Amino acid sequence: MVEKNLNKLYMAIIFLFLYAPIIILIVFSFNDSKMIGNWNRFTLKWYIELLRDREVLKALYNTILISILTAIISTVIGTIAAIGIYNMNGLGKRLILNLNYIPVLNPDIVTAVSLMTLFRLFGFQFGLTTMLLSHITFCLPYVILSILPKLKQMNKHLAEAAMDLGATPSYTLRKVIIPEIRPGIITGALMAFTLSIDDFVISFFNTGHGVSNLSITIFSMARRGINPVINALSTLMFIGLIILLLIINKRADKNTLKERG
Amino acid sequence: MEKQNIIDLKNISMSFDGEKVLKDINLYVKENEFLTLLGPSGCGKTTTLRIIGGFESPTEGKVIFDGKDITDVPPYERQINTVFQKYALFPHLNVYDNIAFGLKIKKTPKDVIKEKVEEMLRLVNLQGYEKRSIEQLSGGQQQRIAIARALVNEPKVLLLDEPLGALDLKLRKEMQIELKSMQKRVGITFIYVTHDQEEALTMSDTVVVMDKGRIQQIGTPIDIYNEPKNSFVADFIGESNIIDGIMHEDYIVEFSGKVFQCVDKGFQKEEDVEVVIRPEDIEIVASNDGILKGVVNSVTFKGVHYEMFVKSDDYEWMIHSTIMKDVGSEIGMTIKPENLHIMKKVKSDEI
Amino acid sequence: MKFKRYSIPYSLWLLVFIVIPLVLVVYYAFTTGDSQDFSTFQFNMENFKRFFTHIYTSVLLRSVNLALVSTVLCLLLGYPIAFIISKEKEKTRNILILFFVIPMWMNFLLRTYAWLALLGKNGIINIIITKLGFQPLDLLYNDSAVLLGMVYNFLPFMVLPIYSVLVKLDPKLVEAAEDLGANRIITFLKVIFPLSLPGVITGISMVFIPAVSTFVISSLLGGNKSNLIGNLIEQQFRYTGDWHFGSAMSIILMIFILLTMIFSYKFDKEKEGDGGGLW
Repeated sequence: MVEKNLNKLYMAIIFLFLYAPIIILIVFSFNDSKMIGNWNRFTLKWYIELLRDREVLKALYNTILISILTAIISTVIGTIAAIGIYNMNGLGKRLILNLNYIPVLNPDIVTAVSLMTLFRLFGFQFGLTTMLLSHITFCLPYVILSILPKLKQMNKHLAEAAMDLGATPSYTLRKVIIPEIRPGIITGALMAFTLSIDDFVISFFNTGHGVSNLSITIFSMARRGINPVINALSTLMFIGLIILLLIINKRADKNTLKERG
Repeated sequence: MEKQNIIDLKNISMSFDGEKVLKDINLYVKENEFLTLLGPSGCGKTTTLRIIGGFESPTEGKVIFDGKDITDVPPYERQINTVFQKYALFPHLNVYDNIAFGLKIKKTPKDVIKEKVEEMLRLVNLQGYEKRSIEQLSGGQQQRIAIARALVNEPKVLLLDEPLGALDLKLRKEMQIELKSMQKRVGITFIYVTHDQEEALTMSDTVVVMDKGRIQQIGTPIDIYNEPKNSFVADFIGESNIIDGIMHEDYIVEFSGKVFQCVDKGFQKEEDVEVVIRPEDIEIVASNDGILKGVVNSVTFKGVHYEMFVKSDDYEWMIHSTIMKDVGSEIGMTIKPENLHIMKKVKSDEI
Repeated sequence: MKFKRYSIPYSLWLLVFIVIPLVLVVYYAFTTGDSQDFSTFQFNMENFKRFFTHIYTSVLLRSVNLALVSTVLCLLLGYPIAFIISKEKEKTRNILILFFVIPMWMNFLLRTYAWLALLGKNGIINIIITKLGFQPLDLLYNDSAVLLGMVYNFLPFMVLPIYSVLVKLDPKLVEAAEDLGANRIITFLKVIFPLSLPGVITGISMVFIPAVSTFVISSLLGGNKSNLIGNLIEQQFRYTGDWHFGSAMSIILMIFILLTMIFSYKFDKEKEGDGGGLW
């Protein structure tokens, strides 16, 4: 019993450690004072200021645009690639799989600067396009890694059975393989979306001409110290995250119900 | 001299989340006995074994080991070892270290460990396998290592939880014989859990048939087979024809509209009973010579005998016989009085 | 099978966006000249010489040191959490892990920024300290603050892989150990911990790699005094414009990480050939 309580205490301390900074940000986003520890009175003025800040709004727009495009493009390329890789064997397969691991294992900063040198070599204008291309590049491996296990779980003879029954390869792909690996594809897409929305390092090195996303904006604001507008932004992003989580959970519940029914 | 009770289960009851899985289990196990807990899945046999091993604490009742109450003693302080279902060998250790695991904990000297492990490997016929990793072994070999790992600790009681369940039929038969002879050689008590009635009958000194959390019958394999106490045991052990009947008076029973002589007594007059007849105990005679008449519905060759289903007016009889009758032919059936087993009707709420 | 061909587009993508860029970085690392003008490039080892003869080596060592300490801290703090959570009932387990993951979904920069509000001169902690009658402390802009930021950000990366191994651990193995006479401590040392090593090793690399290469945490919490190797690379590419030297440092960082990985994976015998991966 003593041990149980100690465990609970330890968990409580760790959760406090994890949540305290976030809670403080949220609380002081409603504080009518620039000084964080100094509670004046409740206000929404930082939120109003945030919504008037053209720079922040533009960054938000860029972030969402890039993450949606990244999710769609890397999911499409990644799904096709995973099916291809799954059907390969030998040296070629191992080579691709190992290359696929490079962006996963390499530090972000190395991936970022290597892409930066590439774009410079080809004379790209740094901006939204370079940012999008670099995001797709570092999200693709994760998409592939979440689809491959589903392909492995799939019955090997499923595709053969479909073709045996007269299905063309593209029909087999659409009607048999993709429905089978759908959970992996959805996981991959969600992963690409969240990786992209959260990214700072890759974007930081591969943007230019005043194009910025939320992370870059936060970085440049935070470097100048405490800014209640960031607190307001954190609060909104945190609430957005919770809502997103609830929606995903609801969906998951529905799906399990459907599968059972 | 009467052998001592090594394990005594006294009024053991067990509930999981309010659901009773064991109801008032009373059971004793004698030294050097090969005792089998037999029953369908969910009957409580594995839970009983886990209570003896110390992995579960009973909600009520006591576990007595060698005269001492060990109900609250943790598994690592019990002189009991277990061969787990699917073996539970440590995948990060090789064969040698798996077997030596328990001895190392007891701080046994290295040379003694080495000697004992080798002796165990000889016992299970796997000399020279010390350095193998667990994944390199076949199911049967893993099985033997699991037995060696438990036996090397020289437990007073060895618990075996469906140890042969994962093996194929042929290997299972071989291991049954081997396990039995191993038990005789090392001379310790085996408590064996299985749902395979044939396995239980082949290996055990004593069989405990369980169902729905209760012990249904305890006895030698021969007793259990020949004198099942109730229709559940009769049905579960071997194959049986079970038919409703009426006990008119001692030694006289009626079923299928016919009156039979039997060897049972002690029932009330005109009591509703169940009559159990083993398929090999029904004799096939010419259709007019039998007490019962029927038409052969199906015949299957089973190697030693034919299995036939014979439809009479109100029942389909299963018959094992070396005589084959064609499908569609009419036959007569007779049953010797001593082969009729009369059971009290079990009201469903009693179990 | 015909589907093999489906990997061709991605192979090309890998070539253009993974292989060529890395080759370029290597090329830059072994040349000097005007970063923007290929005609001025000259092959030599100047960048590496420069790195190993100047204060840069000490920056690398400091980065490695901080990353190691934060990895060890994450392991010491994280293993018990993973262990405690894995022992809970499935429902409680899933909720606890969800609560563990939620902060991770918050933007990385915001999470780091949040500590400014706690540790700053006028931050919450100092306000509490002064209220209690003590002198305010310099909590921010030093190595401890960087370390704290690392542990805070990367702790879940340690907990999740260990948790996912522990939760899959066959409870029968624990019972088998107890059956053979091992008490709970021995069972942990001889069975549970060795079997959780794959998770521990994944956790170590998932904490160590971002920690050793970060420049965000040190920029925000470490101020200008706490430069790490990541900051040096950032400066070369973003401000100084010496891409050659920046590339050389990237290569050194990569090699360093490669060595750590090889070192740690040597302990992990059960690593599977392909697929498995970090998650």
